[in-house]
Amino acid sequence: MFRAVALRAAGVLALLALWWAVAAAHLWPPVFVPSPGAVWHQLVQTSTVHDGQRGYAGHLLAEHLAASLRRILLGSLYGVAGGVALGLLIGLVPTVRALLGPLVTFVRTLPPLAYFSLLIIWFGIDETPKTVLLLVAALPPVAVATADAVRGVHADYLHAARSLGAPRWRVPLSVVLPSALPEVMTGVRVAVGVAYTTVVAAETVNGVPGIGGMIRDAQRYNQSDVVVLGLLVIGASGLLIDAALQLAERRLAPWRGRS
Amino acid sequence: MPSPADTPAGPVEEGAGGGAVALRGVSLAYGGRRARVQALDDIDIAIGAGEFVTIVGPSGCGKSTLLRLVAGFLAPTGGTVQVAGAPVTGPGPDRGVVFQQPRLFPWLNVRRNIEFGLRMARVPAARRTARTRELLELTGLADAAGRRPHELSGGMQQRAAIARALAPRPAILLMDEPFAALDALTRERLQEEIRRIWQATGTTVLLVTHSVDEAVYLGTRVLVMSRRPGTVVADHPSDLPRAPDPRTEPAYLTLRESVAAAVRHAADPRKDPHVHPVL
Repeated sequence: MFRAVALRAAGVLALLALWWAVAAAHLWPPVFVPSPGAVWHQLVQTSTVHDGQRGYAGHLLAEHLAASLRRILLGSLYGVAGGVALGLLIGLVPTVRALLGPLVTFVRTLPPLAYFSLLIIWFGIDETPKTVLLLVAALPPVAVATADAVRGVHADYLHAARSLGAPRWRVPLSVVLPSALPEVMTGVRVAVGVAYTTVVAAETVNGVPGIGGMIRDAQRYNQSDVVVLGLLVIGASGLLIDAALQLAERRLAPWRGRS
Repeated sequence: MPSPADTPAGPVEEGAGGGAVALRGVSLAYGGRRARVQALDDIDIAIGAGEFVTIVGPSGCGKSTLLRLVAGFLAPTGGTVQVAGAPVTGPGPDRGVVFQQPRLFPWLNVRRNIEFGLRMARVPAARRTARTRELLELTGLADAAGRRPHELSGGMQQRAAIARALAPRPAILLMDEPFAALDALTRERLQEEIRRIWQATGTTVLLVTHSVDEAVYLGTRVLVMSRRPGTVVADHPSDLPRAPDPRTEPAYLTLRESVAAAVRHAADPRKDPHVHPVL
């Protein structure tokens, strides 16, 4: 445990050192490789009110992050709910599988940016298209994982339930879904990851406040230190959320791999 | 569902209302027209209430398939299966099933697993709790009630599976090689347990096994099945004294030998001394 933590810390420190060395060597101009110091400075600047200016583009860093997290949370939530329902149907009903299976695979292979333009035409440039984009991106991984898990549930669990008097209509929610829970949770983790990678794209259009909007604005003014800061913030928060989801997975499905 | 009669053993007369299970001319074939496999052929079995019937046969003889027909997981392609006088049309709480793997619901603790059938039947909480406590004690799981299946040993899991199957008071308990996946010591202990549980509850039991010893030791009646197409080739009543240990009785050895001979013959008729080998 201690060794693992020490190794990780050492890895991060080594990367930081490398970054600092490359920046300090001035191999490339600072606009290409901002120094750790410059990024740190931007972290302080964007987190405070200075010279009458509030953070970056009128919002503190924490507010940018909160806006992005809110979009990720909403999009993932709708996506997971829809994905579980759809996956259950696809896994249980052969007709639905034949009808919607290919569609889900099709949407899953599309890059989210490809249909984002269409969503903007449909829903405008406010919150709606961003939430819908994340929903559409997060739904397929959950649907696919759920459908596969549902089809993989051993028939004897269903037999056992029916022999214990479970009516046919109760089996999907009482037995199939809980049996599939470990795999569904893996699907949820993938979905939140996809939502994370998509949110920056979603925020390229009218995305302030939002980490993606902040990065986009910074790009316009060649503020690479702010861009890097945005990347680090979104990456670090993603790591934290994934750790939380892993914990939830262990709590909700402690039997994973042991039954 | 009325509980079965308390008589611990003895077949009930054919056609009597007390018959727990009746299979008449049951056959099962699967596969398409080209590769049709006759799994079971013309099986007639009548099991009386309170009997402990064991079915033994070579692997692939369709004994598990037969059990699944009674459970209602499969429908026969010919003949009828009746339980307590009513034709079987699907699985139901009048037939408890114990599988080779415990198949406990991993997201529920032992208590909730046992309660599953009672909740499905909307048994009021007070009676549910009482019934569950009774079964936890019957199977020696009182201390493990709050634990999840993955925290239990294989033997304890199978005990819980037995308790879960007994909870709705089925007319018959169907057991599909329930001890095959356990280590030898645990298996022996559970064999004694299931005899004790059978005596304590008076429930009818149909147990499928590939072990001649298990079949003879447990059953009040031992059925031998032939290789595919599976059919019943021998039906031995067994009335061994239970104390101190039936396996020390000469009658046990005699019965064991005739069942073993029947299984050997069912597995490979060519090795029968009265038949010339084909090759």
